[in-house]
Amino acid sequence: MLHLSILLWLPVVVGLLGLAAGRHARLVAVPGSLAILALSVAFLLDFDRDAGGLQRVTSDEWIGALGVDYSLATTGLNVWLLLLTTVGFAFAIVWSATQDRVQDDRPGAYYLLLGIGQTSVLGAFLAQDLLLFVGFFDLMLIPFFFLAIGWGDGERQQRVSAVLKMVVYTLVGSLLMLIAAVAAGVLATPQGGEISFALADIAERGVPEGSQGWIFACFAAAFLVKMPAFPIHGWVRDGYKSMSLPVLAVFSGVLSKVAAYGFIALALPLLPEGVVDLRLVVLVVAVISILYASVVAFTTTDIRLVLAYSSIAQLGFITIGALTLREDGAAGAILHSVNHGLVTLPAMLVVAILAARAGGSEDLRDMGGVAFRAPIFAALFIVVTYALLAMPGSANFAGEFYILRGAWEGVAPGFAIVASLGVVLASVYALRLFIRTTHNRVGPKVDSRELSPSELGLLAVPVLVIVALALQPDVVLRDTDRAAGAAAHAAAIADGRTGVRDEGASATTAAGGATAGGAAGAGTAAGAAGAGGIEIDPTTGLPIDPTTGMPVDPSSGMPVDPTTGAPTDDLPTDGAGR
Amino acid sequence: MSPTFTAWTVLALPLAGTILLALGGRGWRGVGAGIVGTATIALAFVFSVLTLIGLLDRDAEGGRQIASSLWTYASSGGVEVRMEILVDPLSVIMLLVVTGVSTLIHLYSLAYMRGDEGYPRFFAYLNFFVFSMLLLVLAGNFFLLIAGWAFVGAASYMLISYWYRRTTATAAGIKAFVINVVGDVGLVLGAILLLRHTGTVDFLETFAAAEDTFAGSGSGSEGSLTVALLLLMIGAFAKSAQLPLHTWLADAMEGPTPVSSLIHAATMVTAGVYLIARLNPLMELAPTAQVVGAVIGLLTLLVAGTIGLTQTDLKRVIAYSTMSQIGYMIMAVSAGAYVAGMFHLTTHAFFKAMLFMAAGSLIAAMAGEQSLDRMRGFRKAMPFTYGAFVIGGLALAGVPPFSGFFSKDEILAAMAGEGGWMWILVIGGYLGAFLTAIYTWRMIFRAFWGPPCPEAQELEDGRLYHAPDHRNPATGELEDTHVGFPGPEHHIAERALPMRIAMGGLAVLASVGGLLGIPKVLTPMEDFLLDPVFAERGLHHPSDTIIVVGMVVGTLIAVAGIYVAYVIWGRPAQEGRESTAISSGWQERFPRLHRLFVNKWWFDELIHATIVAPARWLGRFFHDTFDRLVVGAGLVGGTTGTVRGASALVRRMQSGYLRGYSAVLLAGLAAVLVYFLAQS
Repeated sequence: MLHLSILLWLPVVVGLLGLAAGRHARLVAVPGSLAILALSVAFLLDFDRDAGGLQRVTSDEWIGALGVDYSLATTGLNVWLLLLTTVGFAFAIVWSATQDRVQDDRPGAYYLLLGIGQTSVLGAFLAQDLLLFVGFFDLMLIPFFFLAIGWGDGERQQRVSAVLKMVVYTLVGSLLMLIAAVAAGVLATPQGGEISFALADIAERGVPEGSQGWIFACFAAAFLVKMPAFPIHGWVRDGYKSMSLPVLAVFSGVLSKVAAYGFIALALPLLPEGVVDLRLVVLVVAVISILYASVVAFTTTDIRLVLAYSSIAQLGFITIGALTLREDGAAGAILHSVNHGLVTLPAMLVVAILAARAGGSEDLRDMGGVAFRAPIFAALFIVVTYALLAMPGSANFAGEFYILRGAWEGVAPGFAIVASLGVVLASVYALRLFIRTTHNRVGPKVDSRELSPSELGLLAVPVLVIVALALQPDVVLRDTDRAAGAAAHAAAIADGRTGVRDEGASATTAAGGATAGGAAGAGTAAGAAGAGGIEIDPTTGLPIDPTTGMPVDPSSGMPVDPTTGAPTDDLPTDGAGR
Repeated sequence: MSPTFTAWTVLALPLAGTILLALGGRGWRGVGAGIVGTATIALAFVFSVLTLIGLLDRDAEGGRQIASSLWTYASSGGVEVRMEILVDPLSVIMLLVVTGVSTLIHLYSLAYMRGDEGYPRFFAYLNFFVFSMLLLVLAGNFFLLIAGWAFVGAASYMLISYWYRRTTATAAGIKAFVINVVGDVGLVLGAILLLRHTGTVDFLETFAAAEDTFAGSGSGSEGSLTVALLLLMIGAFAKSAQLPLHTWLADAMEGPTPVSSLIHAATMVTAGVYLIARLNPLMELAPTAQVVGAVIGLLTLLVAGTIGLTQTDLKRVIAYSTMSQIGYMIMAVSAGAYVAGMFHLTTHAFFKAMLFMAAGSLIAAMAGEQSLDRMRGFRKAMPFTYGAFVIGGLALAGVPPFSGFFSKDEILAAMAGEGGWMWILVIGGYLGAFLTAIYTWRMIFRAFWGPPCPEAQELEDGRLYHAPDHRNPATGELEDTHVGFPGPEHHIAERALPMRIAMGGLAVLASVGGLLGIPKVLTPMEDFLLDPVFAERGLHHPSDTIIVVGMVVGTLIAVAGIYVAYVIWGRPAQEGRESTAISSGWQERFPRLHRLFVNKWWFDELIHATIVAPARWLGRFFHDTFDRLVVGAGLVGGTTGTVRGASALVRRMQSGYLRGYSAVLLAGLAAVLVYFLAQS
């Protein structure tokens, strides 16, 4: 039976059962996590990409007085991220089950916390109510806080202070987001109307244009802290060092994607004007994050920090894609989120494998030559390395390609060119990591040995998934493409993007369909403009000039060809001008 | 069997070989891995021939350009990328060259790499390289081309650092990889810019749209095309080691010699030439890009030629020669002499692959020593290798009737026929030919003439020289031979049958390869390529006078170059003298010029000073200072201090973090709700 509430709450239920099982918790947690994974695969297979919109909707009034609904749905934007979540947590749980450290130290509580974490991530992806999203987004942090303190790496005292730092950062972001969410819901409610935080309602009613800017700024701050982005990544260094690697794998691989998803699924449709006004700031932050983090990643000698900074850089790419206001950019961002999650899981395992062969050290200066007696490990590691640096032919490259194309078309060519420097730098830090751990002379502390069977199994599975996805990244794109177009549509129109290009018409239809299903992305422009009593051209989604009967570009006021959506004088409009 | 079916098979075979070899891992015994690797490539060659036959069967009028796709690879924003190959005369010629030369080099490696610890790994990499190269030449759209482009880069990286415990080898590997990623980025951005105007990444659709999209002046798209092509040419220059992205090629000689032969001489490095030829319908519309490409090619061929004169490492001399010859090809295809460029690509693959094989034989006899200063008098000890060097040297120098003579001549004649500014290219090309003859024969005279060195003497006495301890040829550092050649076994062409067969086959091709294009008499390659690939585009045929005069001049220059080399290095060696008065006299007279050449025009130093060093400094500054002080402490210090205080407070209140957190959250929520409810 496919009911989203089951998927959402099953991780907690499994966690509680594990808690009851005490020392044998892993015997519950491992099959449980695989069952959840299977369930999310079932939802993916069930997703009808031709229908689009919201599917498998679960909706109940929750806190009626405040207008908060418990409403969940699968969409083109979240089906693959749900799968990434269940894959990531299953990976972390199976990996943890092989660790004596977990087995000896309150395993029940450990798996319960992971279960709560998984439920909150799934909840954030599934939520179709803004406050529900915020609730899950904030809940996410708590289990990881305890996991880091109770089962983390390093001195307990340092862990506490590192985690506190992380909590403060995220808390500031969360509070801003909470304020913004409440404001969005309240301000969108028309005079005398029933207050509602449903994404579809807010999108339809439209947040007043004047308030969208600061609301978007608050959301963006929360998302950027979570990702994290330069210069608010201060918690990363200590935070990464204090978590145990299986926990870090999901934290880095999965949780950061909620922020990326938030930009596409919430900010774009709900706050189109805010996005248009302020996206340049976020985009610049993203580009600086890419360049800065890449440069630091090829300097640091701590292999865990190489991955930490590479994560910042890759999320910079994802942010850019999300804010191109284009279908391909946003779909590329979702694809790249999946890719980056999938590559982070084995990469963290590689850190553990390397440290186990270097006497516990995670310092490049102690390493080298591991390939000597571990050729299978070296072979799997090189695949991970190539995916990490987004080598063409990998799905990661397909994601970056569409992101860069989106940036070229939707932001500015120069922007894409500067961002592409990050691709070159990625090859430097990824290959440096590989060479200095695996090649060269055998390091001073290194005891080279081949993978143990459990290490081999854990490493080979994600590597095979990476290879499989590389053969046809389209499996992600084709589910995502239309929803991404619909999400970006309102903002693209607000940007005065007359050429929502050739796909403008199809995106409008998709958005139309989504409205019928009660979706986000729905005709915001239609709603906003309709309030002013202006007619909307059905093909281009642009307001119609009452005197000429021609659709006009809202930003320039110029008439537009009603069939193509291109300005009548055929001038290409550049979205970057604003 | 349709040509597309056979072409897909050609692509699948090396991939299957790679997977088979990789899965076998260390389970492979003896030469098993080598035989499997060689057999799959040989079979791929057979299927390439079948593809050629299939294509020849089809109507020459429009029937010889077939795209075939299997599935949708990626699609978004209205851009669909398909898993698609393009079979046409151009890709089939590349298929034949790649699989043919690869088969022989695999055969050579079968013996050459015997005794190496990583024997199966070597063949797995080599098969993966062939797969990648075939993907590159068969790709039917930019996306797959870029994938193949990156895959060959990855294969090249893995094979350069094949002996991965040499730090010089891993450093050379990352250098090659990163410079090639710069090229990849150029390709990606160029493809995105083209996509902007044509709305497709498919080759045939792009070419079909090109005329309408870019030819009309005043739309501004002409400039876009030029920019797009220049970006794409960054990819070509990086892969084909053209200025200023060439510095990785000489270092790539760290790889085993069969790798240098296959990847860094015959196939991968010519991918840039293939790319420009493939894009000929676009190049014709962008004269500026053509000029830039031709000038870069000319500069590269001259710079590399001068460096080749002064290098003492045998493999590096041949590497710079490769760079220089690719300069000719890039110059040709950029200027519009597509057929000539492809012809030179083919003949060069023959004779250069063979020269590297012969060099490998020589290095094996020297037990890994690569310095020309140490080699001498191998003529009697290694007659077979000497023969190969002579044939290769004659072909490279451009002496009739060897293959290089015809192909180089065709390039220069095509440009002379065009006249105008292209005379600069012609004159530069002949100057380069003169340098080519000198450095090639310098190498041959120094290694083979004169009284035998101890290693050659041992060989003449019927023993194989074994170095007491093996040292890295680049640094002189003592090496652990556990990871590779030369281990206890090392093989020289004189004695191993597979190596003799491989070199013999290439020697024949290098001698008679000219038959592919004797102007006015026999031009099968041109007839095959023109329709439908190049059609009416490109340079037209030069007059008979130019052809004849060009041939005479070319011959004279080649002979003159060889004579100069003989005077400077051949005669003194013959007379048993150590150094030559002329050579050292020149070095004394032009010390600056000599230093410039010996130091490879300081390109490495320049790139290091302008890019690598600043990036490293920036990284250290960010990592050690900025991230710690500004982000970690300054920006956050205040916050963290507050947190410490707050957390102390929380602890004192015995409330625990969770409750504290929720309390703050709830308080915030309440405050905000009250505010907004009051407002609304």
